Amino acid sequence: MNAETANGSYLEVANLVKYFGDDRAVDGISFGVPQGKFLTLLGPSGCGKTTTLMCIAGLHKPDAGDIRIGSNAVASVSRGEFMPPEKRDIGMVFQSYAIWPHMTVSQNVAYPLEIRKLDRSEIDDRVREAIRLVGLEDMAEKGATQLSGGQQQRAALARAIVSHPCLLLFDEPLSNLDLKLRERMRVELKRIQHEVGITSIYVTHDQAEALVMSDDIIVMSKGRIEQTGGPHAIYARPTNRYVSNFIGIANLLEGRVTRAGGDRGEIEVAQGESRLLAPCLLAEGLAEGDAAVLSVRPENIEAVKSKPSGPAVEGEVVQTVFLGNWLDCRVRWGEFEWKVQAHPREGLRTGDKVYVCLDPDHTLAVRP
Amino acid sequence: MTTEAAPSDIQVIRPSKWRGIFTQETIATSVASFIVAIAVILPLMALVVNSFLVLDDMGFDTEWGLANYSEIFKGRIIRKAFLNTLFISSMCTVLATFFGVSLAWINARTNCPWREKLEPFNLVPFFLSPFVGAIAWHNLASPKVGLLNNWARSLFGIQGHLFNVDNIFGIIWVTGIFFTPLVYLFVIGSLRRMDPSLEDSARTTGAGLWRTTMSVTLPLVTPAILSGAIIVFVTSAGEFGVPFKLGSPYGYETLTTQIFTKAVGDDANHYLGAAMSMILGVITGLFIWIQQRIIAPRAYTTVTGKGFRPNVIDLGRWKWAAFAYNLGYVFVAVALPILCLVIVSLHPVWQGRVIPNDLTSINYQKVLFFWSPNSISAATNGIKNSFILASIGASIAMLLAIVISYMIHRTKGFGSRILDFLCVVPIGFPGIVLAMGVLVTYIKTPIYATLWILLLGYITRFFPYGQRNISSIMLAVSEELDQSSRMAGATWVTTLRRITIPLLKPGIFAGWVLLFVIFLRELSISIILYTAGTETLSVGVYYLSNFENEPLTAALSVAQTVVLLLCVVIFRKVAGKEALTA
Repeated sequence: MNAETANGSYLEVANLVKYFGDDRAVDGISFGVPQGKFLTLLGPSGCGKTTTLMCIAGLHKPDAGDIRIGSNAVASVSRGEFMPPEKRDIGMVFQSYAIWPHMTVSQNVAYPLEIRKLDRSEIDDRVREAIRLVGLEDMAEKGATQLSGGQQQRAALARAIVSHPCLLLFDEPLSNLDLKLRERMRVELKRIQHEVGITSIYVTHDQAEALVMSDDIIVMSKGRIEQTGGPHAIYARPTNRYVSNFIGIANLLEGRVTRAGGDRGEIEVAQGESRLLAPCLLAEGLAEGDAAVLSVRPENIEAVKSKPSGPAVEGEVVQTVFLGNWLDCRVRWGEFEWKVQAHPREGLRTGDKVYVCLDPDHTLAVRP
Repeated sequence: MTTEAAPSDIQVIRPSKWRGIFTQETIATSVASFIVAIAVILPLMALVVNSFLVLDDMGFDTEWGLANYSEIFKGRIIRKAFLNTLFISSMCTVLATFFGVSLAWINARTNCPWREKLEPFNLVPFFLSPFVGAIAWHNLASPKVGLLNNWARSLFGIQGHLFNVDNIFGIIWVTGIFFTPLVYLFVIGSLRRMDPSLEDSARTTGAGLWRTTMSVTLPLVTPAILSGAIIVFVTSAGEFGVPFKLGSPYGYETLTTQIFTKAVGDDANHYLGAAMSMILGVITGLFIWIQQRIIAPRAYTTVTGKGFRPNVIDLGRWKWAAFAYNLGYVFVAVALPILCLVIVSLHPVWQGRVIPNDLTSINYQKVLFFWSPNSISAATNGIKNSFILASIGASIAMLLAIVISYMIHRTKGFGSRILDFLCVVPIGFPGIVLAMGVLVTYIKTPIYATLWILLLGYITRFFPYGQRNISSIMLAVSEELDQSSRMAGATWVTTLRRITIPLLKPGIFAGWVLLFVIFLRELSISIILYTAGTETLSVGVYYLSNFENEPLTAALSVAQTVVLLLCVVIFRKVAGKEALTA
């Protein structure tokens, strides 16, 4: 991320470092979020995404770097500046929802406004509005302990947005819900965020959540940023092996770039005597002769019985799983097994000899 | 990332640098840590230093040396006192462990009738004053004026006496039955939280009931039994009231009674007292260290958050024996002593017999009615002072406990580990040892001879109990509940006031009542630090016992016991059954 992009950002994080003991939980990351956008920090547990969020919230003090929200420099280690969390005007939804059990739903939601010393009548209006927005009208006077997980989730969201903060933070808010509810809440959350138009940062390890909700996704691992981009770009054009592997399912084979020109080129992979020269899209920065990884998603592979005209390798079907609308196949090629989504119409069976052919527009050479 | 050509001339507002350092949180936690560090470390340091100062023959000057320590091991009386302390503590531990484990097992694991009704009474001695227990048992079973002995004489025509508690075995008996709840609490908690499937699976392998109990149940509760036993050993080694009442007058000294005579009185020698305190403190400190660092971490965590229904063993006809046994314990530890004190307190003079025609309330008037001209000021002062000390002390200690627990569990780091350690230290030292340290530290300052020095001693010694109460709840309350309040715009103090403290309220109140009880009956710190005018309730009892007569002593004891029993009722209302587990 360079300086120009950061300048257009409402939130800006620069060279953020946070240690836990000797462990660099966040290892010098920088990014920005434009006003009103929804950014997701995506990665496995321990990748530093929650720590980054906590630093933005002010609940953790960074060990190096700068954070700016709007026109406020909220933390700058080099200048020794730190704004306490309560001064930052941020709404946050926690993983455990953190709904205060000794208050009712409306008391929970009213709390941020009471802290800001608003008039009682205005507090009541805004609490009612927030509770309506999340669809908890019937539960407003219930004690927090009487709510289900999904309702607590909504209450936490209402509490986070009621004060119209300048930034919304979400720390894996859906991870404690069951699958059905989670899928519904994704859409719901996105709708509410869109409605209130508050710049949001969302932390999750669930790629489906990230793809559905985000304007932008940052894929993290080991405290560093692996790739930044929109959901479509992250899925369709991963730039390195880690992202290819983490998002969705991909066939990954180590090889070498044999031809490069613009963003297109050719990658060579081999299994024993058998070699495949696959025309492909090149990840940024790859040149001829570079070691690279062939990455292709199962839905972009065809397994056919008759030899096709384009580049293909011959293999043997070793496993088929019928999943209704498609057939999940494993095709052995030397030591490697291709994961292929075949159409049931093809009628593939275990033991069949097939040709695996790749679509050049969806075959990628990514950095190792 | 979306690239937007935005103007780069944003006016960036920067936070104040100093406000980042001096936040409410850092100020409050630093002040609290500083207070704790000073309060805990200073007296112990002073104790160490003073124990190496030797008073010369004239009693004016001191020089450095080890003579105090050699006096302890060579001097006949002190060496005897040292050995007595070890003997009494060991035997008391055996007795209390036997009672505690058997009662816990009966209540947790058998079909003993009415055990739910009896259970609360098993804990009552925990709240009462062992010193008052000793007074009661003296009146019950001393050779001449013991009520039981007189009944035995008149009913069975026995010559001489049946019981005698005015000796080492009397001390062991009274301390043993009074400290039984300490073992009981540890063991019953462990038995209740044990997953019954652990025992069931042993039974399915073909092990019988006896075999299962010995090879599965007992090993699982062993850490709890050991913890309880060590606490009893340490507590009885530091117990002052019981040996003072039942031992000292009859020539049986212990370290605590010897420390007392060296701290106050005509041949006061603070330096020798400090050395004796060091010996006692090193022993108890070592045991507590073993309990905290070696045994407690090994306690099998059979807690899974689920409420278990432990296996209940059908005792058959023996269940009535178990019931009689439990009832017997409550009778000798609670009912009989209180009954005896009430009887004694209603007589103008106690001669070991109930004299119906003499019954009077004059003793209560003398010790309670402070406006009455013939009231005894040591007693009435004591009541007033104890209520002041207990309510203020419990409040300050709980406030400290909240901030300290917050530091330990919410702001992790080096400082919090030191604090965690400092909170265990006072538990390792008997009240009389800590009081000796407080005395030598502050004797030349203006707070000496005021209630402040007592307050300081009480809080230093006992705030860890409150802190533990708070900590256990704070561990169960998610940190995110606090954090979300900060994110909602509340400052640290507002968060504490509106979120943290309301969530901890049951623990805070239970801890407050517990400390109130402890302070109201406190003797071993008070006896070292009081002066005329700053007597406490227990010091009042001591004064009456030493300088007045038994009926007056009994009257004040009954008054103290009534208040303590009221506190028990309140405590059980606000705190759950398990809230006492030390």
